[in-house]
Amino acid sequence: MADLATVLLTAAGLCFFLAGTAGVIRFPDIHSRLHALTKADNLGLGFIAVGVALQAESWAQVARLGLIWALALLAAGTVAQLVARAALTDRAAAPDGAKRGSRR
Amino acid sequence: MTFWLHLVTLGVLASLGGALWRVWRGPSPADRMMAAQLVGTGGVAVLMLLAPLRDWAALDVALALALLAALAAVGFVKATSPDGAGDPEETAPGNPAGRDGNGEGDG
Amino acid sequence: MAAATTQAALHRFALFGAVWIVLTSAEPGGMLAGALAVPAAVWMSLRLLPARRPVVLLRLALHAPRFLYGSVAGGVDVARRAFSPSMPLDPGWIAVPVDLPDAGRVALGAELSLMPGTLAAGTQGDRLLVHLLDCKAGFDAAIPQEAAAMAEILAVAPPPRSS
Repeated sequence: MADLATVLLTAAGLCFFLAGTAGVIRFPDIHSRLHALTKADNLGLGFIAVGVALQAESWAQVARLGLIWALALLAAGTVAQLVARAALTDRAAAPDGAKRGSRR
Repeated sequence: MTFWLHLVTLGVLASLGGALWRVWRGPSPADRMMAAQLVGTGGVAVLMLLAPLRDWAALDVALALALLAALAAVGFVKATSPDGAGDPEETAPGNPAGRDGNGEGDG
Repeated sequence: MAAATTQAALHRFALFGAVWIVLTSAEPGGMLAGALAVPAAVWMSLRLLPARRPVVLLRLALHAPRFLYGSVAGGVDVARRAFSPSMPLDPGWIAVPVDLPDAGRVALGAELSLMPGTLAAGTQGDRLLVHLLDCKAGFDAAIPQEAAAMAEILAVAPPPRSS
């Protein structure tokens, strides 16, 4: 039972990793690619962490998997903002020329 | 189960290969850094998947890799922000003060 | 102010202590080193990130399920677009006024970056710059809600304008 759940969860995780890579290759501009990378990859990592946790032999291994995922999630959210910001200043892709104006 | 975990690991490695293509093609430094970040996340996933097959020591490596991948990205942003050391928030976007990397196309 | 520092120190002590126990698998041999490392980490974190206002942990805990749901929805959405042969994208920018302290804005930006279709790219004045993956999909509707939730977590006064 646990094995079946592990197979399903890790398969789902792999799908999200492949989706993240497909997005990083296919999406047309860097900020769109950042969407794919940040969201899909961390979801994939989460599924894989849960799937592997079902095979764990002790609570410490489960807790460690949780810690790694929490760290990855925190890092992804922060790093995505930083890289998005760096790409903005880098190429002058100024939001002034955005499709939609600022809103109130 | 051993076979399956190896299979998934191979799949994640294949997706890392795709990310390396983006590192190679760029075009901007931020693209390359972003793809390297994907390689970091994928590496963590590979180590997680291999942990049950050995003695779970791979989880410690995964933790260290997750930390280092995050710090590498922060280091990249610090290094490429216009004054070379500052917070990216300091410079308003759209005013790249003497940045390199102009003229590079957009994919 | 002192009360906020005490409360933050207790929270951080509990957090770092839990991390230490996970890292050492609660082995007795690691406890002595932890008795030194955890207070040192709390002291350093209070120096680097002084406590300004108390975080409402209950609000944070109540917000967790919505964040998890949002990040799953975000991953599914972006995966669907990445695999779709026609690749439905309509990227664009908006600047959203956000009445939050700096730390709250960064936390909100990190959260939005994991939610469907939004990606924060820092601030411009008092506005949060947000990249939308698809301008027509209405992803930006979630931003005021998330900002309000973050304001509750940080126990700051609700923004004067009703959005």
